[in-house]
Amino acid sequence: MKTAIVAGLKTLRQANILMLGPVLVLLVLGVLFVYSACYVGDDKMVRPLYERQIVWMIAGLVSYVIFALYDFHRFKRISWGVYGGSLALLLLVLIMGKTIYGAKRWLMLFGDNGIGIQPSEIAKLSMIILLSHRLSEVGRNLSSPRELAMTLGLIAVPVALIMNQPDLGTALVFVPTAFLMMYVAGVPFRYLGALGGGGFLLVGLLLGALFLPARMGASEPTQMRIRSLTGLSDYQCGRIEVFFHPDKDPLGAGWNKRQSEIAVGSGGLRGKGYLHGTQNILGFLPRSVAPTDFIYSVIAEEQGFVGSLVVLLLFGTVIIFGMMTALRTRDSMGRLLCVGVVSLIFCHVFINIAMTVGLMPITGLPLPLLSYGGSFMIVTMSALGIVQSVYIRSHRRDAYQ
Amino acid sequence: MSRRKRGEDERFRVRLIGLVMLISLVILGVNLWRIQVVRAPEFRSSLDRQSMRRVRLPGIRGRIFDRNGTCLADNHPSYCIAIYTEELRQRGRWSRTIDKVDSVIDELATVLGQPRQVDRDDIAQHVSRRLPLPFLAWHDLDETALARWAECDQVLPGVDIYVEPVRVYPMGVHASHVLGYVGRADPAASTETPYHYYLPEMEGKAGIERSMDERLRGQSGGRLIRVDASGFKYDEKGEREPVDGEDIHLALDMNIQSIAENVLSNQLGAVVVLDPRNGDVLALASAPSFDVESLKSWKAWQRVRSDPKRPQVNRAIAGLYPPGSTFKPLVAITGLESGRITASTTLNCPGYYQVGNRRIHCWHKRGHGPLQIQKAIEQSCNPFFCELGVRCEYKRIYHMADALGFGHRMGIELLGESPGLLPDNEWKERVMKDTWRMGDTCNVSIGQGFLLVTPLQMAVFVAALGNGGYVYRPRLISNGNHEGDLVNRMAWSAKTMRVVRGGMFDVVQAPTGTGKRARIDGVSIGGKTGSAQYSHGRTHALMIAFAPFDAPRYAVAMILEDSVSGGISTAPQVRFLLNAILTIDGTLSPPAPPVAMEGAQG
Repeated sequence: MKTAIVAGLKTLRQANILMLGPVLVLLVLGVLFVYSACYVGDDKMVRPLYERQIVWMIAGLVSYVIFALYDFHRFKRISWGVYGGSLALLLLVLIMGKTIYGAKRWLMLFGDNGIGIQPSEIAKLSMIILLSHRLSEVGRNLSSPRELAMTLGLIAVPVALIMNQPDLGTALVFVPTAFLMMYVAGVPFRYLGALGGGGFLLVGLLLGALFLPARMGASEPTQMRIRSLTGLSDYQCGRIEVFFHPDKDPLGAGWNKRQSEIAVGSGGLRGKGYLHGTQNILGFLPRSVAPTDFIYSVIAEEQGFVGSLVVLLLFGTVIIFGMMTALRTRDSMGRLLCVGVVSLIFCHVFINIAMTVGLMPITGLPLPLLSYGGSFMIVTMSALGIVQSVYIRSHRRDAYQ
Repeated sequence: MSRRKRGEDERFRVRLIGLVMLISLVILGVNLWRIQVVRAPEFRSSLDRQSMRRVRLPGIRGRIFDRNGTCLADNHPSYCIAIYTEELRQRGRWSRTIDKVDSVIDELATVLGQPRQVDRDDIAQHVSRRLPLPFLAWHDLDETALARWAECDQVLPGVDIYVEPVRVYPMGVHASHVLGYVGRADPAASTETPYHYYLPEMEGKAGIERSMDERLRGQSGGRLIRVDASGFKYDEKGEREPVDGEDIHLALDMNIQSIAENVLSNQLGAVVVLDPRNGDVLALASAPSFDVESLKSWKAWQRVRSDPKRPQVNRAIAGLYPPGSTFKPLVAITGLESGRITASTTLNCPGYYQVGNRRIHCWHKRGHGPLQIQKAIEQSCNPFFCELGVRCEYKRIYHMADALGFGHRMGIELLGESPGLLPDNEWKERVMKDTWRMGDTCNVSIGQGFLLVTPLQMAVFVAALGNGGYVYRPRLISNGNHEGDLVNRMAWSAKTMRVVRGGMFDVVQAPTGTGKRARIDGVSIGGKTGSAQYSHGRTHALMIAFAPFDAPRYAVAMILEDSVSGGISTAPQVRFLLNAILTIDGTLSPPAPPVAMEGAQG
């Protein structure tokens, strides 16, 4: 036991503590603004959110240390098991998950009011681990179509399961993360280009199916029939339509987008001051989403352009540190792990902020390290711990061999 | 492929995607700049639009006083029970909040011992229309209810006392035509600043309340209320204090006004009493009158409006009457001033005046015989004035009347004043499609024909006769200025005035005068009666008078509709009125008590 602790400390001494700096700042900001987002709420469930966020933060830091200490090379042995386990959880959530706001995303532990976990968050990490293992294996021919089909299949299974919850936003994050990993690993660009092009074509067809019939003056039943062919629910169609026609339904589906934009825009250069964000105090930014998906609106409103830029820079630093680790390591799997983690965080940050400023449809994706939420916090911190683990072991490759 | 080569390729691609990610973050940063800095004002105004509500706060309406400081229109506090819905809000459906308010009102009803004044629909309406404002559950609570409220030790959350000013008229029915009344203001009237909510505000609907509304009303203030997403009041952001309305001090003398109204009681007619030294309106009465208080009920208001006697019309300024013989002094002055006759010119009255094939009769069937101007005024001889009018030519009479204000609005501070009708050739050709004839001149010379005047115009005219030719604008509001607003200074010679005023002196003071029934012992009065025929032999009885004769302080014009004649019907009433006025101001000693009278007789 004692030797294990000593070994652990010895390992940690090699860690890059600087990499934790922006992460800690973001975590503290997260607690502060989760407090700001819900301190006026009269709902007894919402008020103590920030207290629980502190618990999640500590749990996140613990998992960070655990994953930093854990030698990522050992993932090779368990990657399939982790992947298979997360798929099992995804299946379980579809069967016995708790339905909140019309989506089955939560698996409740310790009864209905206990701790909820989101298997889709775990699936993100397990997919990154499996892909980094597979794509970095020596002798695997990444150019063969069979191999490509296999990889795509591995991505498609969890995506399909998550789409069924439904959780479009989380499912969408898988695709660019996996593609970036494949690209770095050396999957030929022509495949990725073709897939990407195909994907854009599909999105184009989807939007065409949603908007063209109405534009061409087709009757209401025809529109509905074409719309049903896309396989999207009315709620998802609504979200997309609102993005392109924000004035169409300002009190319904367009509410969150409009209110988030007003919050961000009215923040101005300097913001209204901590705890003075009126959009959130007056409840225009709904209390259910202000501490989670729209935490960035709260920060942008209270701290203005200066504050939102600082947050953006902090995330930029996290990304740069991750990428520097990827460049530093001589280990292919470690590099792919870093790329996967950074891509995941980047996708979340970009999509979340783009949606709060109205550049993207509202998809319901949390902002890493800032948004309230336990599963995602622990997954994000674990992922960053893995990056640290890669850093610690980045110059040990030669020694091993 | 060597491991080293593969590592280098991977590193290149890592750098590439890292660069793409950072560029993406820069793009986000640029968009944030665009929204938070460039478009910030736009979003700020959206924010204000959705969370700020402007409430208009009326100033307290000014009071109205008479010249002695008697209050004629006042504000009384009306105690209301206000319910602040934001403190009673319930989560979930609106109906739960409405239920809560409903139950609080039930509770209050037992505390106050008052039946409910509002039902559930009223609450629902308030919640949907005026949510951020307090909901007034009881209006106008009496003292018992207030005492019970004060004693009630259980403090109900979200409930408080609210004071609302209510307009009251302490003098009741008196001077209602002058004062007018107020009604709920029409919010649509002001559009310069869009307010979301209006607090009940009173607006003058008639009389001084209406014509002086701007000054009485003051300047409205505003309050900014911040509401939350559900529309409940969150807090108050700011307030601009309303400026209370100005008090108005009328020239009216409530003592004289009451006497004037008593004189008219049970009759149709009007009285105007002016101060001939400056045009102050001391009394302005019109009968029948209406009770301002009764206008609060819709039914009573309908009754007033549908009354064939038209009590809502202020006859003193809007009633149109032929002046009859009270117009003759004007013709006399025209004749003397133009030199067409002198004081000693003698004209013959055979009992009628022949114009073409028409005879205008004198009230004295056998005629007055030869007489001079002063006697003609005293006797109110029609043929004399017909002949005089014809001699003067109509245009001179017209100019004289025009200069005295006939045919014009006198500019009193009330709406609805009529200009009357001073006809001329152009008017007759336009309206009657006929030319001006000598008969028309004769008619006007005796105050008949097309000529129509208001009692106010007659009062201004008699004031000018009393003060020697000063035409003052009749004013209800003096603002402490004793000078008066001089409209015209008639260049009447002293000789003319002596003759015409002498004639008017004789009308009252001479034993044979037509207005002898207006005579008062102890003071001399100048006057002129008139009996104006209108359709089917009905007669309006008029009299104009000024007193005291040598230095007039009161000019009176009185008209009684459908009476016998000026001398018989109106003169005794003018006597009563002037007697009372002169007694009040101390010119006449008060009548001896009845006991003393008996003693004197004994």
